Amino acid sequence: MAIARKDAAELSRNPGAILPAVAMVFGALVPAFAVVIGAPMIAGETLARSGEFADEAQAAVGAVPEIAHLSGDALIQAFLFHQFSMLLLLVPVVAAMALATHAVIGEKQARALEPLLATPLTTVELLAAKTLTPLVFSLALSWIAALLYVLGIWLVAEPGVWRTILGLRSLLLFGLLGPLVALVALQLSVIVSSRTADPRSAQQLSSLVILPITIVFVAQLMGAYVLPLAVLLLGAFGCAILNALLLWAGIHVFDRESILMRWK
Amino acid sequence: MPDAVLIAERLTRTFGPRLAVSDLSLTVEAGEVVTLLGPNGAGKTTTMRMMAGLIPPSSGRVILNQTPLTAATTDHARHAVGLLTEAPGLWERLSVRWNLLTYARLQGLRDAGGRVEAALAQVGLSDRADELAGSLSKGLKQRVAIARALIHQPPLLLLDEPTSGLDPASARHTRELIGSLRREGRAVIVSTHNLAEAETLSDRIAILNTTVLALDTPAALRQRLAGLQVVIEVEGDAARWLTALAGVPASALGSRLTLDLDRLDAVPDAVAALAGTGARILSVTPDRRSLEDVYLHLVGAA
Repeated sequence: MAIARKDAAELSRNPGAILPAVAMVFGALVPAFAVVIGAPMIAGETLARSGEFADEAQAAVGAVPEIAHLSGDALIQAFLFHQFSMLLLLVPVVAAMALATHAVIGEKQARALEPLLATPLTTVELLAAKTLTPLVFSLALSWIAALLYVLGIWLVAEPGVWRTILGLRSLLLFGLLGPLVALVALQLSVIVSSRTADPRSAQQLSSLVILPITIVFVAQLMGAYVLPLAVLLLGAFGCAILNALLLWAGIHVFDRESILMRWK
Repeated sequence: MPDAVLIAERLTRTFGPRLAVSDLSLTVEAGEVVTLLGPNGAGKTTTMRMMAGLIPPSSGRVILNQTPLTAATTDHARHAVGLLTEAPGLWERLSVRWNLLTYARLQGLRDAGGRVEAALAQVGLSDRADELAGSLSKGLKQRVAIARALIHQPPLLLLDEPTSGLDPASARHTRELIGSLRREGRAVIVSTHNLAEAETLSDRIAILNTTVLALDTPAALRQRLAGLQVVIEVEGDAARWLTALAGVPASALGSRLTLDLDRLDAVPDAVAALAGTGARILSVTPDRRSLEDVYLHLVGAA
């Protein structure tokens, strides 16, 4: 706990580490509102006038029953906001990666690991501490982003659209899949950080996690569908297994002697 | 050895095919400063890491305060040893107090705040406690790192090159601090390249090059390993008196005779032998070999 507290204190004094995470909140929120609200407003059109959108939204009702009672512009907006909500998964992932790489590489650069290892702190405790602060911070940030998302929809979208975001689907996305994906990104970042001395190279390698999320998001847009609950659950299950494997690998990487001899 | 804080018995450590430390034995008692002196790659840091329980020896064992160090007792080592690493390793965005408080908590100290203040006072940094560690000079950072090693009041301190890169005033302050630790009854092991420092600081010096080449007090090391040179100035050509010194290795140059003796009490006999054969002795000057000579002789031979 002492290390987690120390990491939190260090983080609050390191804007360079927090900035990418905060920027990602805006990066994930802006496209949704730009496409769903901004573009039709600029064009002076409504979404419902596009027959293609209307058909796609109607077809998505099976996967997202929360939007079934809506019609016209509200239905299309709800459909698109559900599609874009996948982008919010990038917030905990980017935050976790940015913070975890700094948490580990920061110690390496400060050459603070050896004195730390000379204390009664176990390597598993060290691993947990290095994961805990970034996880808490990235989840808090992702929930703030989700809150801003709903708040924004309530403010600018058709009445009733915001309520559809508050369903089981969002709970699964932000309450289960988000934390699990963030944990995958975090563990991967910690492991990669242990093998490199530069936070940027660690973040680049860890961006392997961003790729699948982006692919799913783009596929949703291209195919004009929304992932059903069952697929999200399957994704969460896959992430849980991946996390277990990464935990096992992390414990092995966090061997005291390896840290002393090879973490240079 | 009832007062032995640390006993290292035949420590050997290999990294793959490389032998880092070989058959190293050393005992350090309470209130004693022992210096590990050796070239780069001599195994000083590896030895300290084994003593701190950070890495296990390939063979041999470490006994800390009568407790043999094993995987099950490494926690004991972490409470019994204060380690100063070669780099201070401070968290530079945090204040000096934050740095120390984190370590006090990691050591599970009840009065963590009180111990931080005491450690700061001990290294003379009470008035800098709220400054960012990153804003301190190298010498002050080193003092913070020493305070960190002292935070849990360990009976054994392992200081890896504590004055390396410090300005003379900071280095002197650090040496005084080590002296005060000795007076408090702590056992201190220091690694250094600085021969003069080793000589003034240490009760005993271990000259290391993978293994212990010599271990003794500075004075005994000089005398035992390199012997004693005495220069005797006589009236006239010194060479004609060499025969009077039968059995004593000696050389003559001008009016100076240089004698290589194995002990100081051989000097009166040599002087008497010269005087007995009629030599007029103008001066007798013991010319002790420096520790540097001893060090280079031993390390070079190894």
